Amino acid sequence: MNDTENARLERLLEEVQKPARYIGGEMNATVKPWDSVKTHFAFCFPDTYEIGMSHLGMKILYYLINGRPDAVCERVFMPGADMADRMREESLPLFGLESRHALSEYEIVGFTLQYEMSYTNILEMLDLGHIAVFAKDRAEADPIVVAGGPCAFNPEPLTPFVDAFMIGDGEDVMHELIDVIRDGRAEGLSRKEIFRSLARLEGVYVPSLYDVSYNGDGTLKSFAPNDPVAPASVKKRVVKDLSAAVYPEAIPVPYTEIVHDRMVLEIMRGCTRGCRFCQAGMLYRPVRERSMERLMELADKLQQSTGYEEMSLSSLSSGDFTCLPQLIQALMDRYREKRVSVSLPSMRIDSIVKQSLEETQQVKRSGLTLAPEAGTQRLRDVINKGVTEEDLIRSVTDAFECGWSSVKLYFMMGLPTETDEDLQGIGHLAKKVVDAYYALPKEQRSKNGVKVTASASVFVPKPFTPFQWAAQDTIDQVHEKQAKLRQYLKIKCVNFNWHESQLSMLEACVSRGDRRMGDVIYAAWKRGCRLDSWNEYFKFDQWLGAFEDCGLTPDFYAYRERPYEELLPWQFIDAGVSQEYLRKENEKAKAAQTTRDCRRGCNGCGLHTWGVCDWVKHPPLKDTDKTSAPLFD
Amino acid sequence: MKMIVVFEKAPRLRHIGHLDLMRAMQRALRRSGLPLCYSQGFNPHILLSFAAPLSVGMPGRREIMEVPLSEEMTAEAFLQKLSSALPPDLPCLEARGVDDRHPAPMALLSAAVYEAKMEAIPEGLSAAIEEFLAQKEIPAVRKTKSGLKDCDLRPMIYDLSLTGGVLRMTLALCEKATCKPDLLLDSLFAFSGLPRPRALITRTALLGEKDGALVPLEAL
Ligand code: SF4
Repeated sequence: MNDTENARLERLLEEVQKPARYIGGEMNATVKPWDSVKTHFAFCFPDTYEIGMSHLGMKILYYLINGRPDAVCERVFMPGADMADRMREESLPLFGLESRHALSEYEIVGFTLQYEMSYTNILEMLDLGHIAVFAKDRAEADPIVVAGGPCAFNPEPLTPFVDAFMIGDGEDVMHELIDVIRDGRAEGLSRKEIFRSLARLEGVYVPSLYDVSYNGDGTLKSFAPNDPVAPASVKKRVVKDLSAAVYPEAIPVPYTEIVHDRMVLEIMRGCTRGCRFCQAGMLYRPVRERSMERLMELADKLQQSTGYEEMSLSSLSSGDFTCLPQLIQALMDRYREKRVSVSLPSMRIDSIVKQSLEETQQVKRSGLTLAPEAGTQRLRDVINKGVTEEDLIRSVTDAFECGWSSVKLYFMMGLPTETDEDLQGIGHLAKKVVDAYYALPKEQRSKNGVKVTASASVFVPKPFTPFQWAAQDTIDQVHEKQAKLRQYLKIKCVNFNWHESQLSMLEACVSRGDRRMGDVIYAAWKRGCRLDSWNEYFKFDQWLGAFEDCGLTPDFYAYRERPYEELLPWQFIDAGVSQEYLRKENEKAKAAQTTRDCRRGCNGCGLHTWGVCDWVKHPPLKDTDKTSAPLFD
Repeated sequence: MKMIVVFEKAPRLRHIGHLDLMRAMQRALRRSGLPLCYSQGFNPHILLSFAAPLSVGMPGRREIMEVPLSEEMTAEAFLQKLSSALPPDLPCLEARGVDDRHPAPMALLSAAVYEAKMEAIPEGLSAAIEEFLAQKEIPAVRKTKSGLKDCDLRPMIYDLSLTGGVLRMTLALCEKATCKPDLLLDSLFAFSGLPRPRALITRTALLGEKDGALVPLEAL
């Protein structure tokens, strides 16, 4: 931005809400002189500052790219609606927080895809950044727009807007991608040639090098490369050794409050549990742990560089981390003096935590959140959630004994094979949790009185899960079930929360969408949709209108059970977990048969042929080895 | 012992509120490795107090805080350690070690100096200021926690002068009487009938009283 633009921006900041979102200059923000590097990477998070700044993946890649002497990574977030409108009126471009360059001035503009309902924000950000929204409209010198993250495993809905996708773990492929673009630009290669070089990288998908065709009924007929350099199947990238992988030793410390304002240690990636609804559980296989030594080293560096007063451990299922008790103990010993508290998102209240709670107050007593997911054992077997009612009652009893008094219970409604009995089961479980509290002697329980909050989200079938073929409940069905649940949860001390079914329906459409879904996203954005996950901005009728504009229906994407023979839009991506395995798991689900935790023996999910999964050869856990219930959310 | 510290809140940080600034300072202190004192209780926090909170939207050129320490150290060593832990827009400028019994800066505060940098200076402003100050009483309505309150601004104005494009104001700031610069500008421009230009107001100094005169607070 030039001086007058800067001055106009400063004036704008006096007018808009939450101006601190836009100022940058945080501790540990990396500022490099613009001309000192060859490649400028704008890391775009398609949601607001408070949400994006809480995201671990962004911190890892920010640190990784800025670690290169030849590149700089700057942060860009989705502005609030007021700011976006005012920037347009003032024709001020969306800019990187560090140097305030317009988005269009970076060689690479990269989006992280964490949630399908943030896709309209991507279009809004490109447009605000003065970059052509459609990839085909970009000029030779325009930035190359890339994207990665979990939602990139079905890239098809975003193919009209994104030049290249990175599939899988980003640490290694990011370097390769930057190298290719840097060299290609230096050699004066055309965009097309750079794209062709990118397509040669493992884990990179360049949509313009593939053609699709559809059957008369709207299903996918064919999907194939139109260029010999593009592989027929794009294999996800896997970082094999997490301890050796780059991890941030310093992260920007925001001035203003964000959603998760603390340092985060990623202790493990992946999960062996195999819950059948869980996309992350399948995408992030295999399980890889960071070593204790590495974690302690990172903890120290992060603590010194950020001054944070709170540390949290992150993974899909922290309770499964081999040395969890030792790690917690070591962290608490190390930081007692410095008054740093340790919070566990997947809180396991077994002996160690209980003891340390009594000793010190260093473990954060955040709310207790448990995720039984379904109301009956039958349905929990269908989804392979290896949790019993006994596990749940034991866990809450432990927690009540430790002084907790409020419990959140997460459920899903609309799971495959769900019946009224399963909904009633949710009521029964909630009641039993209340009873568990009153079963304790008076002097052992907290004086606050028990409070149970039961939340029921709407099940969204996701690609690369055994339920990827399943039909979602219709909005009417969901409303009916919500009404019933309201009845079943009319229990003293129990509150019921339910989720917006319209948003879940759209999420189902987009997450399992094909290329034509891109047209719907564009039409929705043109009709004014953005910040869809923010209640106050969500415009369901405009989304429905967008489907109509494109001659498509949500029913086709969300409500239709897909036959196994159907070519799925994301099938060309090789996520390691094979389609055969997913099919087998889906059949087992229908028969309510469970599948063991991989640590009790490899289930042959497909990744066993890749040579990246340690548990294939690992001696399986014995029946007597305790593994805590994967209950904690 | 404790340190009386002068620091700057640079213009970029003007949108940061008092609580956010406090948190940023506490995190900087944690990074610094200084021997800090902590509060007791469930969520221990670093002991630290500011002489006067700055309102959102206002930079501060010489803000003052007090940091209790658990060990003796020199002001130079303190400054060096803290400086290395502070973000670029929050530099510390001076420090002075004092005894634990030294009164808190907040208790010694009586006034503050503000500079309003105006985008355009309306013609006749100098003359208007003179007339404005010549009033015996300057009635105004002040917003307080307990609602609107009538007050007289005149005794709360120690100084008001225009040099270059900058309006300099020395106004009462203590428990008994506080005149916010915004209120003063409202009153001045309403009185003069001149259009009020956009202005960036910076608090440039905090003052205390010594022998009947206003002196920099950090010197007390
Ligand atoms: S390869 Fe075997 S052990 Fe590894 S994730 Fe797949 S099923 Fe589990």
